[in-house]
Amino acid sequence: MQTVPTMNGEASLNANGGASVVGEANSAPASGPTDRRAARKARKMAEANNYNKKHGFRLFLLVAPLLVMVVLFSYLPLFGWVYAFFDYQPPIPLSESEFVGLQWFEMMVQNKAQLQTIGQVMLNTFAMSGLNILTSFLPVIFAIALNEIRAKWFKNIIQTLTTLPNFISWVLVYSIAFAMFSSTGMVNDLLQNLHLITEPIKFLDSADHTWLKMLLWGLWKGLGWGSIMYLAGIAGIDPELYEAAQVDGANRFQQIIHVTIPQLMPTYFVLLMLSISNFLNNGMDQYFVFQNAFNTKWIQVLDLYVYNVGMGQNSLSLGTAISMLKSLVSVALLLIVNWLSKRTRGVGIV
Amino acid sequence: MELKKKLTTALAAGLASAMMFSVAACGADDSSSDNAVDDGSLMTVDVFSSTANYQGMQKGWFAKIVKDKFNIELNIIAPNVAGGGDTLFDTRSAAGDLGDIVIVGTGNGRLQKLVKSGLIVDMTEYYDDMENVQNYQSAVDAVTELAGQDGVWGFPQAVSTSSPTEPNEGVEPGAAPYIRWDYYREIGYPEINDLDDFLDMLKQMQDKAREDTGEDDIYALSLFKDWDGDVMQNAQAIASWYGYGLQNSMFVAADGSDVQSAIDEGGVYEKALEFLNKAYQMGLVDPESTTQNWDTLSTKVTNGKVLVSLWSWLGKPRQNTAENKANGVGFMLAPIGDMKVYSDGFKPNGDTSSIIAIGSKAENKARLAEFIDWLYSPEGVYASASNSGGAVCPEEMCWTVNDEGLPELTEFGDKAMNDASDLTVSDEYGGGSYNDGVSALNFKTVAQNDIDPNTGEAFNQQLWTTVLNQTDALQDDWASHMGGAQTDIEYLENSGKISVAAGASYVTPEEDSQISTLRASIKTEIVNASWQAVTASSDSEFKQILDEMRTKVNDLDYASVRAVDEQNAKDLIAAREAIVKQAESESE
Repeated sequence: MQTVPTMNGEASLNANGGASVVGEANSAPASGPTDRRAARKARKMAEANNYNKKHGFRLFLLVAPLLVMVVLFSYLPLFGWVYAFFDYQPPIPLSESEFVGLQWFEMMVQNKAQLQTIGQVMLNTFAMSGLNILTSFLPVIFAIALNEIRAKWFKNIIQTLTTLPNFISWVLVYSIAFAMFSSTGMVNDLLQNLHLITEPIKFLDSADHTWLKMLLWGLWKGLGWGSIMYLAGIAGIDPELYEAAQVDGANRFQQIIHVTIPQLMPTYFVLLMLSISNFLNNGMDQYFVFQNAFNTKWIQVLDLYVYNVGMGQNSLSLGTAISMLKSLVSVALLLIVNWLSKRTRGVGIV
Repeated sequence: MELKKKLTTALAAGLASAMMFSVAACGADDSSSDNAVDDGSLMTVDVFSSTANYQGMQKGWFAKIVKDKFNIELNIIAPNVAGGGDTLFDTRSAAGDLGDIVIVGTGNGRLQKLVKSGLIVDMTEYYDDMENVQNYQSAVDAVTELAGQDGVWGFPQAVSTSSPTEPNEGVEPGAAPYIRWDYYREIGYPEINDLDDFLDMLKQMQDKAREDTGEDDIYALSLFKDWDGDVMQNAQAIASWYGYGLQNSMFVAADGSDVQSAIDEGGVYEKALEFLNKAYQMGLVDPESTTQNWDTLSTKVTNGKVLVSLWSWLGKPRQNTAENKANGVGFMLAPIGDMKVYSDGFKPNGDTSSIIAIGSKAENKARLAEFIDWLYSPEGVYASASNSGGAVCPEEMCWTVNDEGLPELTEFGDKAMNDASDLTVSDEYGGGSYNDGVSALNFKTVAQNDIDPNTGEAFNQQLWTTVLNQTDALQDDWASHMGGAQTDIEYLENSGKISVAAGASYVTPEEDSQISTLRASIKTEIVNASWQAVTASSDSEFKQILDEMRTKVNDLDYASVRAVDEQNAKDLIAAREAIVKQAESESE
């Protein structure tokens, strides 16, 4: 991901270098009064031109590794799409597999139940990503709240404790969830011992409120980490603004409303844009560890569905075909956002 | 300045070329040294075993036998342990090297694919020296036929020289209702006519057990999902109590008289689910059933938290220790009036659904062939022993021939077979714990209840005269209520509660990949709905879940899958009839 801006930066630098050469070359004939002078100037120019060419080439070499990486990791894998057009069954190599054209794509839409499944999967994907975006203001509030804590040691403890979950893998998060919320887990035991319930509540193995539960787990894991960017943003706000506000008699709450929040908005929108561009990539590890026979219907997002079909059900070709769907939807989303951006700001993203 | 620039250039170029190179290296081919001379030195053999439940180097006494005999160390690669279904098989076969020795299932044309893609080798050139395997020529032919290409591609498991209409289980069937006999005794041996009676009785047993121990986490039934395939495996076990075996989505009666689908209304599978759901509604099912795995369950059985074992091999080895048996405690077969327990007959051609073969990239193939051949010898069969229900562990270590010429367990052997949890092996035989030293291949080459020509008795010690003559309090009590039967199979045969499926080596043929794909999504629906149905809180919810599943499955074009499965079921029945005829003509 990071290779792209760096590469563009290098490229534009290169282009500027080239442009300056052209400018000088154009001005040469006008400024040369005699032939000799002109010849010397031309020679110098040629040298400079040569140097610039060489320099440009060197700069290109600097970019080259990144270009290679982009090709290797972003474009070469697209070759894998050919599997969607073959009847690939693992021990038989692709070269000996039968070419089946669009068979797998037809299969995706061939019957009602299949279409329903894909519809449900898209619904889950959009719902979970949507919920994530809808709750993306929570880290902002958290960061502001954290910033208002005056006792430094307390602030540090809170920040450490909330950032830590981000570094725990989802597998471990699930084992925590299991220890606490399984039918014989801590919470159920506690509630039963307090005689608040007689039957254990099924937190994990039921289909109820799956989206909400997943959102809460995601928030628990990501809230502290998500607020780091905003804390940095708050640290970067000019203290004069606060001083001016204080002079105007603003209390702490008013300072937050009128200084901190407006100053954080640019950061917030950049991060929001990034998360929208990641709309379909809600990942599969979280949903993979939490899925079971009871919640599959509501937890299966696109990435997980591709995994379940391809690896779980051993239908690699169909899995590939479905994963291509993701790219299609991504491109469609990109075009829509681009169009919106053009309409509202007059400038497109791509 | 200039130097710095040059340095940067060089660095950039170096980086780029390094990247190119590393990518190229990925595709580098490895040439196999096929005909290198075997110097007999120690070699590590990678074994890809679909049947293994342990991953890593083989340890303990089996490792010592193999090392002493062949100078081989076995490194087990186990997809069962790795998880993720066929992922490991797919990735390893895509890389062109499954392992040096390959133990795989052959269903759905997989053997043909392995042969076609050159992942396993033709063992013809070693076959002349494989004297033990040659005893089972028809089994070898059956694999060749399955492979669809001339050559010796592999050898099936459970090959046999016994009759196909005899139950191959020896003393106890695989799936049958086993209950904690001690609690059954305490509630006064109530009569059990059908599954409803069984439930009432379980309720009494559970109450009694909780009362006796004061522990309220004892449940009659505890389930797990690890082995779910085309259907929920636990419910499938209950269908076997009524004489049905599963092939893909079809339940086929052992005698071939009935074939029904897993989704059929009122079918045997629904009956099994209904039983489990009723038990659930009565509070007889462990609430952890939906999330626990096999390990957790078997620990619970060992700790006496579970009162029913759906299979003989779950309850007995974990509860029926010598001490418990002397006190009359342990799992025993429950006499349900209307059951007709499914049993597989001996398979003269072996169980070709799983074979052992040599990988094409293996070194010293002759030595591997010798090793595989040895696995089919009586010595190899004893060496591949585990716990009760199968062959006994090796002579000297576990048993000796007594004065009357009959094999007899040593004290160590008795422990190894019946109560091996803390048993350690002496250094002479490799040391370590007995259970850790059990062959991790988990591949039973010869039918465990076949007769060893050297001793004249079965490989399975449970069938030995010396063992059958030993009784204990539990066995005596059970026998007195079961018409004096010595073994479960004897009781079932005497009371006509067994139905033996003739031992045909039928394997489903390769099917269209679209059918496989449909099947995959259909079975996910069936299994998920089964679990939901079992844990439904009311009968109407149970019915609604199954109805929804049927609609969904039919919408997924189950009809075309069903057509294939019905044809396969017909072929299976025909193969069973053929093997019975063949056996009859041979015996005449």
